[in-house]
Amino acid sequence: MATVVEPRRDDSMQRPNIPSAGNRLPGVRDYEQVDRDIIGTLRPTLGWFAALGTAVLCLLIGISAWTYQIHEGLGAAGYHPPVMWGVYIITFVFWVGIGHAGTLISAILYLFRAGFRTTIYRAAEAMTVFAVMTAGLFPILHLGRPWKFFWLIPYPNWRLIWPNPKSPLVWDVFAILTYLTVSATFFYVGLIPDIAVLRDQETNPVRKRIFAALSLGWRNSDREWRHFTRAYLFLAAFATPLVLSVHSVVSFDFAMALTPGWHATVFPPYFVAGAIFSGIGMVFTIIIPLRRFFGLQHFVTINDLDAAAKLCLFTSSVVGLAYLTEFQVAWMSGNRVEQEYFWNRVFGQWAWAAWIMLICNMVLPLSLFSQRLRRNTTWLFILSLFINLGMWFERFVIVVPSLSHEFEPWQWGSYAPTWVDYSILLGSFGWFFMWFLLFIKQLPVMALAEIKEIVPPKMRRPIDPEERDHDLDTLTLDPINTAGDD
Amino acid sequence: MQGVIGAFSELDSAVHAIEDLRKQDFGDITVYTPTPRHELEHALQAPNSPVRRFTLIGGLLGVTFGYWVAIWISDYWPLVVGGKPVASWVPYTIIGFELMVLIGSLSTVFGMFAVSRMPRLTMTVGYDGRFSHGDFGVWVPAGPDRAGQAADVLRKHGAVEVRSER
Repeated sequence: MATVVEPRRDDSMQRPNIPSAGNRLPGVRDYEQVDRDIIGTLRPTLGWFAALGTAVLCLLIGISAWTYQIHEGLGAAGYHPPVMWGVYIITFVFWVGIGHAGTLISAILYLFRAGFRTTIYRAAEAMTVFAVMTAGLFPILHLGRPWKFFWLIPYPNWRLIWPNPKSPLVWDVFAILTYLTVSATFFYVGLIPDIAVLRDQETNPVRKRIFAALSLGWRNSDREWRHFTRAYLFLAAFATPLVLSVHSVVSFDFAMALTPGWHATVFPPYFVAGAIFSGIGMVFTIIIPLRRFFGLQHFVTINDLDAAAKLCLFTSSVVGLAYLTEFQVAWMSGNRVEQEYFWNRVFGQWAWAAWIMLICNMVLPLSLFSQRLRRNTTWLFILSLFINLGMWFERFVIVVPSLSHEFEPWQWGSYAPTWVDYSILLGSFGWFFMWFLLFIKQLPVMALAEIKEIVPPKMRRPIDPEERDHDLDTLTLDPINTAGDD
Repeated sequence: MQGVIGAFSELDSAVHAIEDLRKQDFGDITVYTPTPRHELEHALQAPNSPVRRFTLIGGLLGVTFGYWVAIWISDYWPLVVGGKPVASWVPYTIIGFELMVLIGSLSTVFGMFAVSRMPRLTMTVGYDGRFSHGDFGVWVPAGPDRAGQAADVLRKHGAVEVRSER
């Protein structure tokens, strides 16, 4: 919400409430249209049921594979020395990373008052919560006795044994649980005013009662808004360093070990940039079909996608620089083991995986230098799929080649995931999309109250369009920029 | 509580009504708005929110607890490795930081609920569902002696509906 700025002069009411946002929604006339168009997307359709059914089926495949693994042991998942981390850790890091873009868009871009976030942040925030929920399953899936997962949580127990607070795995527990709790809280707090809108418009008494309970009696008073906007600002301020810390902590899982390819100080910024990059890829994967199927092109405009694509290009460049830095450090270190390892990564045993990573994450995003491609939703969607693939392989390239090619040649080995790994990977996508699909039909996929902030309110005094456009001279309103391409 | 509620479909009408009501010494005006607007905040001259105090106290408690729990665990099972200190503050900064964010965030939300008096089990007198949709509501607490005066001000500034409630 926008109380981070100074109160406006009385003669400027026709302007959006976020003066520096530079965001316009020419296709949205008034507050009523915001409610009508977005709440209208909540009606379930046949296509939605089909998508939900597919997601549940994928989840069931994953659950079946996990049941088999619990019965047979972790060997069923293809783990054997020297590679004792594989698809589960790769996928854990992948999903934690996906979550980061949601918090970046909802919190960091909020603090920077980037207007393009307004229409996409709710979906991105939901993505964060569900992605972290998915990631949190993987450390448990990786346990031979998953029912003992709570041994990592520090609490007074009958064993009188406490976890080691110097262990990166314990830091992970604190970081991931904090991230999940804060993201879910941030998500829910932002939803409260919108749930109140649903409550006030709902005619079904049972649903109305549920929305009334979830909205906690919110009534849109100036006092509530005043405290709400302040609390939202502070939550954003907390979430911002949290985003940077969580993936740094995840990177410590690797960087604290002496394994070649892992023991590098570049890992925390490299992981954070990669996480944001992969998350933006997933935002495109979700938002582009969503705006098309829900007919919300006048809310998520092509300008918004263009701005997000620039962010994608920037993070891709940072990730690419980190890749090159790793090679440079290995080359200049004079350390034979490091040099051998990186040579093996790119030209040896794992070259196929490394080149998938480099092409998807470094080469293909360079296309976003072209404005025409940044504004082409079909290309953005295709590119986002490549980014998702590339970022999964980035984690593969970090985990597997290091473990399979350590210090001594007798330690070297290989790794091949089994059907159990692939099924659980599929199940994780089923779990994630099941929650996301349930969300988009129960709660507004865009923030109603915040979109109303950028829609000019009704005025008794007629608005002079020339005066308004003069005031908002930060953006050129040519039809190509605002209409959307589809 | 007794008072008068006026529903406005235009923002400038609501703002002018609030300013006029304040000039005529009507205090404790409540405005219902579908989205926060600075113009309303400005007209009401509302004080700063005290939520920030909850944030500060929660954050300080969180960071203290984070360091304390990690140091206590280490001292409870004191294993000396490589002659290094049993309690090492550098890695414990991670736990301190995470708990600062966790408890600071939760106390911020708790503070917001406390000062907004949420959760609220019953709807306030004067609230109308249209105030979350597109209209602005101005609620003026007024006894029978001043209710007529308040209603006149609201009507003068273009309220589409004015009614007394208790």
